[in-house]
This record gives sequence, structure tokens and C-alpha cells, in this order.
Amino acid sequence: MLTDIQCLTLPDKMQLYSILLDAIPSSILVLDESLRIVSVNRNFLEKSQRLMRDTISRRLEEVFPAVILEHTSIKKQVYDCFEKKRVVRGHRMTYRAPGIPIRTYYYSILPIGEDESVRLVVLLMEDVTEQVRLSEEVRRMERHLASVVESAQDIVLSTDLSGRILTWNSAAEKLSGFKFNEVKGHCWSEFCSQVANIKGFLGQICSGSDVHTAEWELITKENQMIPVSWVVSPMMDDYRKVVGFVAVGRDLTEQRKLEYQLRQSQKIAALGVMAGGIAHEIRNPLAICSSAAQFLQEESLPTPFARECADKIQVSIEKISSIIENLLRFSRPTTASEMVSVDLIKVVQEALTLIASHAKVQNICVNSQFPKQRVLVNGVASLLQQVFLNLCLNAVNAMPNGGALTVSFFLYSDCVEVQVEDTGVGINPKDFDKIFDPFHTTSPIGKGTGLGLTICYSIIKQHFGHILVESYLNRGSKFTIKLPLQQKDS
Amino acid sequence: MLKKADYLVVDDEPDICWVMKRILSSAGGSVVTLQTGGEVLSLIKSHAFGRVFMDAKLPDIEGLELARQVHKLVPSLQVVLVSGYYYKDDPTIQQALSAGLIYDFIAKPFTHNDILKML
Repeated sequence: MLTDIQCLTLPDKMQLYSILLDAIPSSILVLDESLRIVSVNRNFLEKSQRLMRDTISRRLEEVFPAVILEHTSIKKQVYDCFEKKRVVRGHRMTYRAPGIPIRTYYYSILPIGEDESVRLVVLLMEDVTEQVRLSEEVRRMERHLASVVESAQDIVLSTDLSGRILTWNSAAEKLSGFKFNEVKGHCWSEFCSQVANIKGFLGQICSGSDVHTAEWELITKENQMIPVSWVVSPMMDDYRKVVGFVAVGRDLTEQRKLEYQLRQSQKIAALGVMAGGIAHEIRNPLAICSSAAQFLQEESLPTPFARECADKIQVSIEKISSIIENLLRFSRPTTASEMVSVDLIKVVQEALTLIASHAKVQNICVNSQFPKQRVLVNGVASLLQQVFLNLCLNAVNAMPNGGALTVSFFLYSDCVEVQVEDTGVGINPKDFDKIFDPFHTTSPIGKGTGLGLTICYSIIKQHFGHILVESYLNRGSKFTIKLPLQQKDS
Repeated sequence: MLKKADYLVVDDEPDICWVMKRILSSAGGSVVTLQTGGEVLSLIKSHAFGRVFMDAKLPDIEGLELARQVHKLVPSLQVVLVSGYYYKDDPTIQQALSAGLIYDFIAKPFTHNDILKML
């Protein structure tokens, strides 16, 4: 092909040169020393809406709008190129030909010549209007996204693959007390409690594109612990490769306060439900004490009978005391929120003790099957007790004409299932979707708050567990609580 | 011919039966105690009791339901409900009293005089 060109005649070469120039998608102007146009390509003529005959041999000032020449140093740069061979590359200018929108160009000024002399100068202009528009659009979007992240009330942070913090928004600064420059490059886990191995957690996310949720406390600059609900998602590059993580965290302090108040009010409601059973259960030993004391007041009582009376008083008082102790234990506000090792069998047994009186007066037979070994879970004992007490109370209330309440344990390698089963009225299929809704109750007015199962659900979720329900109308219900077992090494 | 018996006590708490038996015996009556409601109906058919003292919550039947059945079977037999589950002006108790289902109600704990007044 090259040899063909060399064989061409001059007019042919000129024609080829002209074709090549016109094919170039940039504007090209060739100027002589007096700054007259000696050559121009089609792209320039189209952009400037000019004709060839009105452009060739014209001075640069006639072809270029005066405003451009005034605001740029193109003219001087062309002179410099002739005189000092000074090359200009990639300078920016905007140009608006009459009747067409503003365009942005990157221009270069290049000398053409042999040896030291510069005979001609090429002004090469590349239309970058679209690229500039797009990059401005990208910048605008970036600014918008940044302002969204900055205005968010939730913590928004991003990390690299190893969990080191890359971004940290205003909400994170406000909540934690740490400025971005104090946390930048530090591992996110340094600011979270209860994260034994955040890298392991992030590793799990790496393997899939799923969103993961967790509740970890944020450690503030003042060393306070703030409960935060996190949603962690992997960040992908254009090739769907995970390059880091985004974590959005919501302050749960207010929610925890409300949940606490809700739990307390529900306890009061549960006490109300149990009051009848408790009254019956306490008044029996009270009646025995009272009668035994009245016998002791009689004249000339035989000593063995007097001793029998005293023994009965003693036993009855112990009975009353243990009922009251259980009530106190249950009704006292829970201050503990720290997850510790809890024996679930003990928790369930305590709940069963609390409802024993209530079950007894309703002619309910309570069956329980406990494993021989301890069943250890990470949790707050009083909250778990509240769950089982609620479920047992619901079961008892579902059997107004008596029945059987069965509590069974099923142990697996990594979790435990506790089933609370009754032979009561069952749940109406139309209510089935609403049983965990707050204030949904089928109890008569004043008998139930409709918060029991809502609280159970929330407590079990806090313990990373699940609550499942099976129920058949007029045959009974079975609630299954599934909790992760405490890992042996934790 | 019915066998003569003075008092029937029905309570699932053995010590309450022990107390009642002692109080009623001291008043010079013969006392039969039962811990469930199941045998009450057959017993009142065969024995002529002067009073029945029963708990409101029995393992196999509600005291008030048992009182209803007793009333139906032997209308003249007066039932005294002795319970820690209800209180004197409890609407349920007031209803049972006005319907003549029970002769009276005694709340636990009681004075021995409360019991003796019923005889």
C-alpha cells in the first residue's frame, strides 16, 4: 500500500491527502506564517458552519469568532509555534458558531516543517462537548450521591476488602464522635463491639452478593456502646468483582427504649392474667396457716397436734414465699442487656413454675421433657424467660376448659428447638398472618394487650433465632423457638 | 334409704381438707372429704349431707359447674363455695348467689367462725 502511494502523481497525492483530512473526526486548520488558512478539513467546516471558499486564504481572525481569540491565547500560541517551535497540547476552549449550541474543544498547535524552520502550523481541535457533558453529569451525580450520604440520618460507611474504612459520613461522625480523619484506614471492627471476627463476616459476604444484616454496638469516642442495626452489602466493580463493602447503620437506642417499655407493660399485663391463678395458689397456704394458727389458740391442745399445726404453717409459708419470689423475679425491670451464657432448661423451668398455678386452676396438665445435659445459648435470661412465659400463658389461655401443655426440647449440632404445644382452641386461619402484629389480640377486652407475641418475636430476633407456628382450629397450636447454641469456643 | 352424713368437703389441697375436717368435727358433725369432683354426684345420691363445702377450682371440674350439677340432682342440698380464686363481691359469685346455685361464699383464708356460721 505504501509503495502504491509513492507511485502516485502529485494531484493524486493531494486528493488522497484531502480525503484523509476529511476522514479525520477532528477539526484541522493549517495556517501559514501570516496566520492565513491554507488547508481545512470537512469536520471544521461542518462545526463552524462555513464553506471551503469562505475559509481558505482567510485570516484566522476572520474564521474564528473574535470572542474566542480575545479569551484564549490561540493567536499568540500560533505565533510562538512559528517562532519558537512551541507545541501546545490539549488546551481547552469553548466555541459557539452562530445558530448552534456551545461546543467544547481540546486544541493542540503543532508545527510542520523541516530542520529548524516552521513553515506551517496545524491547529487541531477535538470536539469533547459530549465527554465534558458526561463527565459533568457524573460529577453532578457524585455530588448528589455525596450529599445524599451526607444528609442521611443513618451511618453510611464503606470499607475495602479487608474492612478498612474508606468513607464515613456525617451521621457516623455525629453518632460515634470520631471525625473521618480519625477513622480513615482503621478497621471497621475497631469501632464495633461483639465482633469477634469481622473479617470472617465480610468473607462470608464476599462469597455472594447477598445483603447481610447484623446488630452490633458502636463504640463511641467516650467509650459508650450504642446499639446499631447494620445492613452490609458488597461493593462491586464493573466486572462484578467485590472490591469492598458498604455498611448502613441505624441507631437503635430509641427503639430499644420503646421495646423496653413495651416489655415492661406486657409483664404487667401478664401478671394481670396470672393474678387469678396466683391468688388461688397463695390463698390456699394462707388459709392453712390461718387455720393452724386458730387451732393453736385453742385451750389445752394436744402437743402432737400443736406440732402438726406448726409444721403446716412452716410448709405453707415456704410455698407462699417461693411463689412471691418467682413473681418478683419476673416483674422486676431487666437491667441486663449483655448477652451471657444462659441455660435454656433453667429459663423454661422458671417460666413453667410461674404459670403452674394458672395452669392448675384451669385443669391443665403440664408435661415437659428436658435433655439431661445443659442447653447453653447466648442470651439475656430474663428476656428469654419472658418469651417462654408468654408462650405458656397463651397456651394456658387457649385451653379454658382444660387440656395439656407440652414443652419439648430438640437438640441439633448447632441449634436447639423448644416446642410449646397446647391442645386448645387453635388460631383462626384468618388471624394467622396477624398474630405477631402489635395490639392484635383475640382475648376479651382487658384480658390481653396484643403485645405478647410481638415482644416474643422481637426478643427471639435479638437472639438470632426464629419463631415458627403451627395451628389447627379447635385442635391446638404449636410454637417452636429455634435458637443457635453457644459455640464451644465462644 | 340414704346414709346419714353431715358434711362433705371437696378440695384438692389435702391440708385444707385436714383443716375443714377438724373444724366441722369440732362442731359435732361427721365429715367426708374428697379431692376431686368426680365422686361427688354418686356420693350425694347415696348419702344425706347437710352441707357441701367445695373449692372453686377442682382438678377435674369447675366448682361452680359442680354446684350446678349438685343443685340439679339434690336441690335441697346447700353448697358453700370456699375459694381463694374469687372474692365476695365478684360478679360471678354474686350471680351464683342470686341464682341460688350456692348457699354462700367464703373467701380463703377464713376464720373458723366463718365456717361454723354456715352450719
